[in-house]
Amino acid sequence: MTTTVVLPKVPALGGLFARGAGLSLARRVRSGPTVLPDVEYVVRGVRASSDHLTEYQHLLGESASDALPAGFVHVLAFPVATALMVRSDFPLPLVGLVHVANRVTQHRPVLLTDALDVRATATDLRGHRSGTQVDLVTEVSVDGSVAWRGVSTYLARGVRLGGSGDEPATFVPPTPTGRWKLDGDIGRRYAAVSGDRNPIHLSALSAKALGFPRAIAHGMYTASRALADVGAGRGDAFEWSVEFVKPVLLPGTVTVRVAGSSEGFTFAGWDARSGKPHLTGSVTPLR
Amino acid sequence: MARPTTPTPEVRRAYVLGGNRIPFARAGGPYVRASNQDMLTAAIDGLVARYGLQGERIGEVAAGAVLKHSKDFNLTREAVLGSALSAETPAYDVQQACATGLETVVSLSNKIRLGQLESAIAGGVDSTSDAPIAVSNRLRRALLDLSRAKTVGQKLAAVAKIRPKDLAPVAPNTGEPRTHLSMGEHQALTTAQWEITQAAQDEVALASHQRLAAAYDSGFFDDLVTPFRGLTRDANLRADSSLEKLAKLKPAFGLGLDTPATMTAGNSTPLSDGASTVLLGSAEWAAAHDLVPLASLVDAEAGAVDFVHGDDGLLMAPAFAVPRLLARNGLTLDDLDYIEIHEAFAATVLTTLAAWESEEFGRTRLGLDGAFGTVDRAKLNVHGSSLAAGHPFAATGGRIVATISKELHRRKAASGSDAPVRALVSVCAAGGLGLTAILEAA
Repeated sequence: MTTTVVLPKVPALGGLFARGAGLSLARRVRSGPTVLPDVEYVVRGVRASSDHLTEYQHLLGESASDALPAGFVHVLAFPVATALMVRSDFPLPLVGLVHVANRVTQHRPVLLTDALDVRATATDLRGHRSGTQVDLVTEVSVDGSVAWRGVSTYLARGVRLGGSGDEPATFVPPTPTGRWKLDGDIGRRYAAVSGDRNPIHLSALSAKALGFPRAIAHGMYTASRALADVGAGRGDAFEWSVEFVKPVLLPGTVTVRVAGSSEGFTFAGWDARSGKPHLTGSVTPLR
Repeated sequence: MARPTTPTPEVRRAYVLGGNRIPFARAGGPYVRASNQDMLTAAIDGLVARYGLQGERIGEVAAGAVLKHSKDFNLTREAVLGSALSAETPAYDVQQACATGLETVVSLSNKIRLGQLESAIAGGVDSTSDAPIAVSNRLRRALLDLSRAKTVGQKLAAVAKIRPKDLAPVAPNTGEPRTHLSMGEHQALTTAQWEITQAAQDEVALASHQRLAAAYDSGFFDDLVTPFRGLTRDANLRADSSLEKLAKLKPAFGLGLDTPATMTAGNSTPLSDGASTVLLGSAEWAAAHDLVPLASLVDAEAGAVDFVHGDDGLLMAPAFAVPRLLARNGLTLDDLDYIEIHEAFAATVLTTLAAWESEEFGRTRLGLDGAFGTVDRAKLNVHGSSLAAGHPFAATGGRIVATISKELHRRKAASGSDAPVRALVSVCAAGGLGLTAILEAA
């Protein structure tokens, strides 16, 4: 039977990371569990603050609205899933986990005035060609019905559970529609609004310590920029999917295409010099 | 007793009675220390002198600038107060990117048409030499927090947020706020889409220089341009330009695309400084002031495209607005004697013409049975345009309207016939905007 852990409030990511780092170290010494804990984490009555919302909207280029951008709901709710990931019986080490994909379904707008009930679970532990993947599912309900559901897929490189997964698709750069010029401090600025102060995003020095040549942009920052570029055409209910292919080193320039498709919108961000993709995805209105 | 009802106004004609501008300078040239207010005042005063308007209370003056200092919140009114017009002349500012100048002509003409005004002056000015420099958002926010702080602790907290890099000034650029591509980069995408060659663009640029030079040589601009700061002609004009010289210039935009880069400094407009004005009035006001109507504004149509999601090129809005404008007036391209398409880039003119000549664009994007039509190049930008004259953003509309109104009147007078003589004016603008208008010779 599923165990329910009710937290009094959304935990701060900083403390969770510290705990996760300690566990990851321990896991290098002895191997961890190979099944997901049958547990759900719940926080009730979460509320957004208007200043926090404004900071987020300005940073991401979202229009000022009292409806929370889908990426902002992720910022509010995802630490609940992180709390689950730092349990001692969670089978993958937090440090080194790579966010490889994210899929959000917004059934209806979540408003600044709404009280949000957040529920996080982990599902589908599976093999991948370069390690093991898991989905963290976060549901946000308002008045008892799910308004927003996010599925964040993480990869633990080198952790083998068997299975191989799919080969990556080849990418041909399309005609650009715009460009993101990302300053060296964009990781710190997104960290300030998201609470995600993972050292790989904060400075070249802290990123080097973890094996990156420079700081890298938060994947959700880039995905949320793409969602903002789609604009009002996404409607009130939509599915927003993204695959993170190659990290964006900071400072850096991402060439982008955000354009209408038969289903809704597709987007891609790539390095114009190498032609290699950073992210690809879509925003599909639900009718 | 019943109150009297307000009668619905009769729509009458609004006329272009004349124009005046200062020669356009290149950025960093002779107007480097002149402000927008300086140049707009000079252009208004030139108009006042030319048409005997000293101390005259004009119905309303509307003008604007694209690059505007926040202290210039009443730019046009301040220019009027500094001019020889009556200080009782009202004024307002307009800002619609590069369509600013044409929009002032359209909105003031409409007020005259409705009887709200008897006379008006439309105008525009821009200085890229004296562009506003702003502080960074973070510094601005910290300074505003500081000004609101009451305690020493709050003040220190506000100051502590300032980082050394926040002190760097922010200069305006031609980048689109939503795409962060410059106007040239956007046009390069459209140029590639319509497969416009450098040779074709250079021909447009050469014709612009040759026609503007010929107009100056023939004295056409003698009653349209007043010298300023030692300039008597537009500084960008190269009368001795040639296709060979233009072909040697290196591409400036579209360098990162799969297709060859074709847009050079020679077939793109340079950053410029300058100001223009247009005198408008009713037939009665013109007669009372012994002024000859040159042309009337028949109709106008604005347009916009979704360049953010790549549906259309940034500067392609006129390609959609013109077909709507002509359809509403029961006209085709063949009914027009002159076609003025603002040369933001030579390629902007050519991609617009290519779209109108395309069967597919006509069917799928304009909803027509086939291609919209072909423009006879002999009617196009007959006295040169922005490639030769330069393009102080908000001043371009006034330059075009004054120039083509004089030409329309001249043509009509020479023809000795009552047949209408018409011109189309088309101006593209940042933000995917476009503004188009029909003028008819008086």
